[in-house]
Amino acid sequence: MYMKKLIVSALVLASSAVAMAQGARDFKLNEVYVAPNQTCDSTEACKGAAQYLDEYGEASSWIEIENTSYTTHDLRNCYLTTDKSVLDEALSAPERIAKMSIILGSDKRTVLAGQQRITFFADGKVNRGMLHLNGNVSLKPGQDNWIALYDGNGIDLLDSITVPANAQGSSYARFVDEKGAVVWKVVGADKITPNTPNKIGGHNSKVSEWKQSDPYGIAMSIIAMAIVFVSLILLYLFFHVFGWIINRMTLLERVKAIRILQDKAEKMVVMAKDGVDTKGIEMENYAAAIGLALHEYMGGLHDIESGIITIQHHPSDWENKDYMLRQAPERH
Amino acid sequence: MLLESTGIMGFISEKFLDFLTFTGFANLEWTNLVMIFVGAFFIWLAIKKDFEPLLLIPIGLGIILGNIPFKSVGLEIGLYEDNSVLNFFYQGVKLGWYPPLIFLGIGAMTDFSALIANPKLMLVGAAAQFGIFGAYMIALLMGFEPNQAAGIAIIGGADGPTAIFLSSKLSPNLMGAIAVCAYSYMALVPVIQPFIMRALTTRKEKRIQMKAARPVSQTERILFPIVGLLITTFLVPSGLPLLGMLFFGNLLKESTKTARLAKTAGAALNDIVVMLLGLTVGCSTQASEFLTINTVKIFALGAFAFIIATASGVLFVKFFNLFLPEGKKINPLIGNAGVSAVPMAARISQQEGLKADRHNYLLMHAMGPNVAGVIGSAVAAGVLLGFLS
Repeated sequence: MYMKKLIVSALVLASSAVAMAQGARDFKLNEVYVAPNQTCDSTEACKGAAQYLDEYGEASSWIEIENTSYTTHDLRNCYLTTDKSVLDEALSAPERIAKMSIILGSDKRTVLAGQQRITFFADGKVNRGMLHLNGNVSLKPGQDNWIALYDGNGIDLLDSITVPANAQGSSYARFVDEKGAVVWKVVGADKITPNTPNKIGGHNSKVSEWKQSDPYGIAMSIIAMAIVFVSLILLYLFFHVFGWIINRMTLLERVKAIRILQDKAEKMVVMAKDGVDTKGIEMENYAAAIGLALHEYMGGLHDIESGIITIQHHPSDWENKDYMLRQAPERH
Repeated sequence: MLLESTGIMGFISEKFLDFLTFTGFANLEWTNLVMIFVGAFFIWLAIKKDFEPLLLIPIGLGIILGNIPFKSVGLEIGLYEDNSVLNFFYQGVKLGWYPPLIFLGIGAMTDFSALIANPKLMLVGAAAQFGIFGAYMIALLMGFEPNQAAGIAIIGGADGPTAIFLSSKLSPNLMGAIAVCAYSYMALVPVIQPFIMRALTTRKEKRIQMKAARPVSQTERILFPIVGLLITTFLVPSGLPLLGMLFFGNLLKESTKTARLAKTAGAALNDIVVMLLGLTVGCSTQASEFLTINTVKIFALGAFAFIIATASGVLFVKFFNLFLPEGKKINPLIGNAGVSAVPMAARISQQEGLKADRHNYLLMHAMGPNVAGVIGSAVAAGVLLGFLS
């Protein structure tokens, strides 16, 4: 009993651990903005910076993370880093964490609903709040920047990306193409979308796609009816075959029951013959054996009943259709 | 003197006049009266004509309740007002968690043995789903968007919970009309189906006697919900909430080890959800939302959907009979039962069968396509949801 409880507890624990890991894996780096290496004014390069300012009205580089699942997950205690030395497997977890910036769970903003995003400023000004990362996350303009998102243990790499040098002043955004593949692209300042879905190129919703490609509903009808039929045909085949097997088994059981009866009858004949041969010696034993065999034959053993009840038809008011089903009887 | 000096009379009359502006009489519009009449008509149908009273009484009263006029000043009383009690009940419809609970009850109450004994009747349940897609095509022609058309077309499945579930996901703005339409036509199955069945069958076909079903073993009964769940949800995962709960309820019943749970799911829980669902669906038909040209179109499409579903079920059996040997033919009068209005459609098969031959009892045979229709319509809903959500 104790062992059983232990096994069940271990299984529950293991499954919950898997669920947690799955939740963290749904976080992906979604968009990165590397601020240009100049004091921003009204030039083209500064348009992107002007689109997303921190709480103090200042522009800086930022990293957007998306919960790509449709379930709410907490990003709290995950880590961001731009220091590639964390990939060194010889490093212990504390050594690796020392090169990262923790995502603090000081408020509920780290709890991301499905498809929701959060943006962190890579400005090293942690005193400005939980949306600001420490100096371990530094995006340098004019060069490639490697960014990694780590799980709370500081060991499991959840996502990483290298932002190319030419993305300075623009945004480097992740999107899913029509074939479902993830593609990263440098997009212009006018298409920077912090905290909102990345919109690169035209993307039709499912409804508009169906409307455009199947205006009369013929394709939908054929596909959907085919799926309905396939589901029920599979069920039909399974229970048709299974029913056949059950029938065969029933038949075999019936044959087995008949064989048992035959064996008993044969033994009874032999015993009766022995009784005659021994002129009634051990008569009581024979009588008991015959009595037991008869008892089993009459009541102890059952053949397989058909399950069909046949009722002889006798015309009466009981079958009058006026009194059938849910018709309420009328008072006369 | 005192009254005059304190000005209390003026205050009283002012407050009394203010009170009058809050009454239903002051806020009444003719559309409210129309809907109250519709609600009363539903109650009359349920009580006097015995049309699905378990559904039509809560819906009928819900319609009246939802159309009591009041001044909207944040009293948190209306169905669509945040934090109102009715709004709280309505979340089960809006978020789609009442329908799976009803499917749990249906599963716990349904005996699938007629279907297991004669599994080819599953195909009849599949064929009747043509009603859904026939209505889908007509709805598109009438100018509805594909998601709206799908929500309306599911009425053809003759399954209220499925209709509510799908429309709450795909076309929430039409859900009230779709739900009322689905339940209204389900109640009107005895009126709609018989003439189609009679028109499409010959006298000889109506008199076809089907062999009694073979006995079904306990193993088969237990396997059915498990295998059914695996096959249908692996093919159509989007139907998981409905199919999962349907087969879960049935496993509670057939396992014989959880009789108490099955009893609760099929009786108390189901009754509670039916009451809340019926009442809130009725309430959602506030005149301003309900009395639109779209509602008229939805009712017309619902009628088409039922007619196509019934006809396709009957015609499919006739077609199927071409391939079946003599003695194993199916009576086409059970084809209508594929529309899944359980058990009303099966009762219609029984009644029509007895009219043609008073010794021909089709009820148990008709239960096969009837419950297959429940599975079929849930699968169809899952397919539509998967494609259009």
